[in-house]
Amino acid sequence: MTSSSASTTTPARHAFEARVEDVKTVKSDINALILDYLTTEGYPSAAAKFSKEANLRPHREEEAVKARQEIQHAIHLGSIQDAIEALNELEPLVLDHNPALHFALLRLQLVELIRTCNSTPGGDITPALKFATAELAPRASAQSEYLEDLERTMALLVFPPDNLEPQLAALLHPDLRRSVADRVNKAILTAQNQRRDASIRNLVRLRAWAEDYARESKKDLPARMDLGLDIGNNNDTNGSDPMIA
Amino acid sequence: MTSPFHHPSGSAGVPDLSTATGTSNRRRSSYASVVSGAATGPPYPQQSSRNSDFSRLLSHLPDTAHQSVGGYLQHDPRSSSMEYNTNGGSHRRSGPWKTGSQLPSFSSAFGALVNGQRDNRGSHADSFFTPSYLRGSKHVQTLEEAHKAKVLSYKEGQASTSQPGSLSTSASSTSLHTKMAPSHRGMTYDLIEKMPPLEEETLAPLPSKWNVMDKDAGLEVLSEGLEVKFSGSKWTLERDHEASSIRSDHPMPSQCGIYYFEVTVMSRRREDSSIGIGFSAKHVDLTRLPGWEPESWAYHGDDGNTFCCQSTGKIYNEPFTAPDVIGCGVNFRTGSAFFTRNGVQLGIAFREIRGKLYPSIGMKKSGEHIRVNFGQSPFTFDIDSVMEAEKNIIWQQIEATSTAKLAPPLSETELIQSLVLQFLSRDGYVESARALAEELQAEKRALTLDGITAVDGVNVREDEDSVHRQLIRTFILNGEIEKAHQHTDKVYPHVLKSNEGVYFRLRCMRFIEMIRQGAEMAQVPSPAKAARKSNGYYHSDFDDDVINHDMELDDQPSLDKMDIKMEPDEPSVITYNQLLIETLKYGKEIQHEFREDPRREVQKTLAEAFSLMAYADPLGAKKVSHLLDPSGRVSLAEEVNCAILLSLGKSSTAALEQLYQQTTVLLEDLRADGGAGSFVNIDDYVKPDSQNFSSFSSR
Repeated sequence: MTSSSASTTTPARHAFEARVEDVKTVKSDINALILDYLTTEGYPSAAAKFSKEANLRPHREEEAVKARQEIQHAIHLGSIQDAIEALNELEPLVLDHNPALHFALLRLQLVELIRTCNSTPGGDITPALKFATAELAPRASAQSEYLEDLERTMALLVFPPDNLEPQLAALLHPDLRRSVADRVNKAILTAQNQRRDASIRNLVRLRAWAEDYARESKKDLPARMDLGLDIGNNNDTNGSDPMIA
Repeated sequence: MTSPFHHPSGSAGVPDLSTATGTSNRRRSSYASVVSGAATGPPYPQQSSRNSDFSRLLSHLPDTAHQSVGGYLQHDPRSSSMEYNTNGGSHRRSGPWKTGSQLPSFSSAFGALVNGQRDNRGSHADSFFTPSYLRGSKHVQTLEEAHKAKVLSYKEGQASTSQPGSLSTSASSTSLHTKMAPSHRGMTYDLIEKMPPLEEETLAPLPSKWNVMDKDAGLEVLSEGLEVKFSGSKWTLERDHEASSIRSDHPMPSQCGIYYFEVTVMSRRREDSSIGIGFSAKHVDLTRLPGWEPESWAYHGDDGNTFCCQSTGKIYNEPFTAPDVIGCGVNFRTGSAFFTRNGVQLGIAFREIRGKLYPSIGMKKSGEHIRVNFGQSPFTFDIDSVMEAEKNIIWQQIEATSTAKLAPPLSETELIQSLVLQFLSRDGYVESARALAEELQAEKRALTLDGITAVDGVNVREDEDSVHRQLIRTFILNGEIEKAHQHTDKVYPHVLKSNEGVYFRLRCMRFIEMIRQGAEMAQVPSPAKAARKSNGYYHSDFDDDVINHDMELDDQPSLDKMDIKMEPDEPSVITYNQLLIETLKYGKEIQHEFREDPRREVQKTLAEAFSLMAYADPLGAKKVSHLLDPSGRVSLAEEVNCAILLSLGKSSTAALEQLYQQTTVLLEDLRADGGAGSFVNIDDYVKPDSQNFSSFSSR
């Protein structure tokens, strides 16, 4: 249809791209991949909508997806105590079996307590100290790497919050919440005998690996292999593209 | 080259052989196929004497012929029993295989022809096999698909040659299904002439048997190409022969990552074998044992040494003899080879192996005899675990790969979110995209530390198009093809005009949906219920359909009566008979519309659709029920969506699909030379259900 005109406008097309175009994607596979992502990573409402729109049978109970998503959400919000309680209710053994994960959650809880006290002028540091001695210190004395983590976290109390060295600042960054939430999610999935990672993550990594490897082996590839996401290119013609701003 | 089969003098005999002598051979082969269930004896003497007759003719070695026939007959009972013991199920392909090996050694030009013919026949018998350790291999999947396509094109080719005018119409069409029937006999000739040789080199098929065209004269190939027996006389050896070797039909494909085969030593005498088992390049002299010559590698039975391209061996392991099972494996990623004996791994024997290498064995003593397993039967050694371990190494590498370079500055999580969102909105899953955007935004807001900071919206930029596309998709998925058709024509008047294929499939689908409706009505006694149920998954209101008929009077006059016939007091119920009449009418209409269409594809689809009419219960009829499968709606919805996107000047491929396609091609490249890509099958990564990296082989 329009392909002939497209190819004349870009004369230096790499043979690789022609081969890429010839690959048939099976839409039902892609749909399954999307649904797997939505359920595994915990987007219950999108998962429900998608299985309806694409005529797919949801392959996991919506309830279970929701329960996981709520725990993640609590962690994202910084409500660690709520998350731990919900987690213990959903999968009582997960934290017992993952002491490192349990410690990470408690440490995050300490970070959140310190954050609260730092953000209020003349804030009371007693709750943070109490929590550290009651919950974290006993665990840290048994494991040296926990101790180091605990000490670093406690340093947040000593240094002025607006002038922290990068290592300490990272503790206060929301990425810590996200990564702990991801770990909790994976632990629940493992406990429920489900795969840890959504397939789409593996596919994306496979793509990255394959390109790295092919370039290393000096395969004949185009200099740049665009995905067509139009990131950072807002004046594109594809007006319907969703963007994460 | 000392092999007599390559002398051009053979060409003089070719015409004769292909017609006269070939005839009796071929007939015999068909009989053999018929009776193969009972006894495989008869064709063998025929084969071997034919074979050696040529040897005699071409190489002027009068004695060999008698010798080999004699030697063969001696052995015969055992060989046929072996076949049943170790090659269970393979008797089905005995017909084609024998045919191939019966006409082995004419000139090489004719050989190619025979090869092509053999492969075509072989393909329509069910001759494809997948060695257990290659079950998840993308390369073998590709081979299998090619094989299936070949079978299909063979069938279609057959069908088209048996148009009126061909004398053998009925014979050929029946022979497809009952290929063992005697009526089949005459037909094989056509194939020799019509089927072109195949480009197997590009496919890199698996070795499947010993190559009778690539052996020393002192060897005899038995049992459908799997067994090799030494039949040369001492006199033969005294000339410049030191041994007699043979290679397989195809080289070991490096695309498999690992290649493995096993050889059972079957010689009567159990002491000091002289057998060498390994692999060699195509040009390596076959009058020496593999391993002695450059570009050949082997493990020798007499001294237990390994030989790497030279006459002096290296101490490796114990000697072997009957009834040992020796396995030979090559790992193309590491370039190393190993052997196994009776299921035990003996360790790395060679390194830095490369090139196009054929499994090869050689022997030099009378009475020596081996049988190969190229994967048709289970292996003695647990090669599957070796394969699995290799795959896990690669899997761990992949799992640890950073995706930071794919779409900077996006992190892996952000990249995936973008991919999914873009896919959803581009493919017209508007509500899903909206729901996900909301959920992502809630997540983002939670992650701001104070919960107050304004979060930039995760917005799905919607436009009118995506809403229309969603509507059309929903219609199709609900089986409301007419509505989809109308809506497409209304909003995108050019799309169906310029996409004839999509238009055609929409028309056909509507017919199929009418059939479905009828079939579902027939299953449910009450007509009122039937109408409710009629639209498949989501119930939809039949009233709408009826109302909508008004709109299509212009282009579909035949449906016009439908409204008139409707009982006024029961507008939402259509009787089974009325529907039947409408269906017939509509069927005639599309038949009339596409009758003149010359494309076979179109005619085939039409014929298939109409065949539904023949069944009282098409939903339950195995042969046709796939046409009614809801997956047909899904793919049609995709097609229409793609056509609309293209007409709007948008790429029909979402970034996620682009990523999938790129990965597929990259992996193809990484497989080409037996690299790490050979151990990766994209399906394992993409299909959530099949993904279980600790047990690849269970798939």
